[in-house]
Amino acid sequence: MARSLFLFDMTFWLYLASLTLYIAYLFARRPAMALAPAGHPSEDFDERDGAWATQLGQVATLVTVFGWMVNTAALMTRAFERLEHSGTFAPWSNQFEAMAYVSWAIILGYVVLELRYKIKAIGAFVVGIGFIAMGAASLLPYRYQTAEPLVPALNSYWIYIHVSVTLTSYAAFAMAGGLGIMYLFKERAEQRGSRSRFYAAFPDLETIDELGYKAIMIGFPMLAFGIILGAMWANYAWGGYWSWDPKETWSLIVWLIYGAYIHARMTRGWEGRRAAIYAVFGFLMVIFCFWGVNFLLSGLHAYA
Amino acid sequence: MNSRQDTLTEQDTPRTPAPGVGWEEFSRELVAFFASIKLAMFLFLFIAITATIGTVIQQGERPETYIQEYGEEAYRWFLRLGFTDVYHTWWFTSLLGLLCVNSLTCFYKRFPAVWRSMKQDKVSVSLAFIKGMKQQTEVTLPGTKESIAQQMAQHYVAKGYRVLAKNEGGEVTLYATKGVMGRVGAHMAHLSATVIVLGGLLGSYYGFQEFGVCLEGQTYHIPRGNFDLKVEKFWIDYHENGAVKSYNSTLTVLEGGESKMTKTITVNDPLVYKGIWFYQSSYGDAWDQIEVARINIKDKESEKVVKTIDLEWQKEQTLSELNLKLAITDFVADFAFNSTEKKVYSKTIEHANPAIKLTVNERSTVQATPWIFYQFPDLFEIKDSKYQFELVGYKPKKYTGLQIAKNPGINIVWIGSTMIVVGITLSSFIYHRRLWTKIIPSADGVTVHVGGATHKSQIDFQKEFRRLSEKIRTFSA
Repeated sequence: MARSLFLFDMTFWLYLASLTLYIAYLFARRPAMALAPAGHPSEDFDERDGAWATQLGQVATLVTVFGWMVNTAALMTRAFERLEHSGTFAPWSNQFEAMAYVSWAIILGYVVLELRYKIKAIGAFVVGIGFIAMGAASLLPYRYQTAEPLVPALNSYWIYIHVSVTLTSYAAFAMAGGLGIMYLFKERAEQRGSRSRFYAAFPDLETIDELGYKAIMIGFPMLAFGIILGAMWANYAWGGYWSWDPKETWSLIVWLIYGAYIHARMTRGWEGRRAAIYAVFGFLMVIFCFWGVNFLLSGLHAYA
Repeated sequence: MNSRQDTLTEQDTPRTPAPGVGWEEFSRELVAFFASIKLAMFLFLFIAITATIGTVIQQGERPETYIQEYGEEAYRWFLRLGFTDVYHTWWFTSLLGLLCVNSLTCFYKRFPAVWRSMKQDKVSVSLAFIKGMKQQTEVTLPGTKESIAQQMAQHYVAKGYRVLAKNEGGEVTLYATKGVMGRVGAHMAHLSATVIVLGGLLGSYYGFQEFGVCLEGQTYHIPRGNFDLKVEKFWIDYHENGAVKSYNSTLTVLEGGESKMTKTITVNDPLVYKGIWFYQSSYGDAWDQIEVARINIKDKESEKVVKTIDLEWQKEQTLSELNLKLAITDFVADFAFNSTEKKVYSKTIEHANPAIKLTVNERSTVQATPWIFYQFPDLFEIKDSKYQFELVGYKPKKYTGLQIAKNPGINIVWIGSTMIVVGITLSSFIYHRRLWTKIIPSADGVTVHVGGATHKSQIDFQKEFRRLSEKIRTFSA
């Protein structure tokens, strides 16, 4: 147990380091971005940075990737520990492991996003959320962090797929939430006519908006799939595919909230600011579904 | 799920002003209302908000529980509004029904257009239409319109587009489209809501869910399936640290006395026979049976324990040296007495006040059946007996809690579930792209106008369009 806990701890510090580096990167960039044509997140942004900022950005990426690898190692170590003690190897079998998995998925999502769109400024927000998830996990009492054997209801192959799919959708919504916060920051700066180098490094509003939308478009079908896998599991374990237990009801609520968002995007006026606020609100609901329900409401998922 | 693009093309159809409010106008308004995205958003959010009620207020509790926690006045309101069983109230069900109506009307109104665009699409558009698009470019190339059109069409096809072309009025118009499945997916998801609700209704009308407390060795009749179920065995497996690993029951299905199937069920692994599912749902201590009890036999005069024996359930034991025959003939976990029926029963299933009924036969002259209490050893005394009996401990029989359910709607629910997951996935990851190209001969070759539209993924489309316009520049005769 100690081995995986050490690795989880290390992940936490590495994510803290990478978050700090991304924030430093934002401050180090020159405000030349204002000259870039709006709506063109071009690949040659880095050339506009000072050499110092570019290096900082590279280090930030490296530390993030390394942190993610340590996170992977921690989850795998935990999987082996579970295999020895509890008859399953899913490293997302309690709240702590689930949080660690969510931050793993968030950081993976972020790294893919950075490689694909070459926008490092997002790191300060999205890696920030990944870091907070990891930090919240490590704040849990020790007895939540260990790999206790699973209760009989959880001891099933369904745990591999239902839990991982649902948690991955949470990670996507977390990314959308981070991008929403970023949008609101950037928009406020633009309205005040801020020439701060901090905001200049951000991609333009339209890009942030679109990326946030994309993250939700990934999370939405995944959550649907996760809920349905849960229903199938419930049909095997509880004797009914839907029993309006607080956890499943809340996951449905979250799904409905994003369903409304996706339909809203089809109508005019639901991009930009409104969508960003909504994405942040949706993410808060995800947090409640993930944390609040477990600690505040009782139900069949009480063990999760 | 529809886009601005359709409103763009639908504007062409002129509206015929109807005199007064005719049926046609009314029905058109009605369809527009029920198919509207606004209604969908309202329903999504309203269902989400009302669904929280049942997660905050415990559902299906006894009245006392609510009164204790919220007070009498609040409870009266709960009953009026159905808050003690929110998800089965008429108004919550109506919301779900309305969502089905909403999605079906949307399908009815918008799917035909999607279907048409799968079959054929509007090729001829005006130059102003192309120039007015969000993504558009204009290039002048050397060559004839036919050869350029040929190259462009080949490029579109290579990129996975379906291409339609028209060569008339001295210009070539190309229409290229890709990813219409994204829209089909959205409509598939719309239909799925109704499929799932229908499956749910079928299950709630023709299915059932019951809970049975069963004891090892007993046979139970399942009237709904017209067969019997025998619980052969029940046991619990433990982890090294003493936590419960699994609990298991071996069940045999008997039909007309004949054994049809035997299966050991455990949590997550039910038995299914004739569409009826038997789940291992829980276990616990039985409240009317025990396995064994330990009894102290005290001599009344000396007040000394002369013997301690373990008595098995309903098995007479003879103690010849004490001239005693003893048997446990009954047990209650929480002793209570019904004075009108003169019957002993267990008030609850908790082992709050356990007692055994001991049948005593002493020297064949004294016969008695006293209730012996675990907590009150001195309560009963047999007058003519030399002995006093004390219950010092017992091992309760474990019952196995079986959930018995039948749900004829379940497969329909799974069909709907598959539709919703496949549908949303298609509509999330595939986006409908349409490109219109006009190639018009000019003084030094041809002028190519390209315009493109998508209803989402603007960034990706923008990139794709940029690459496309760079590619076009390389075309030549």
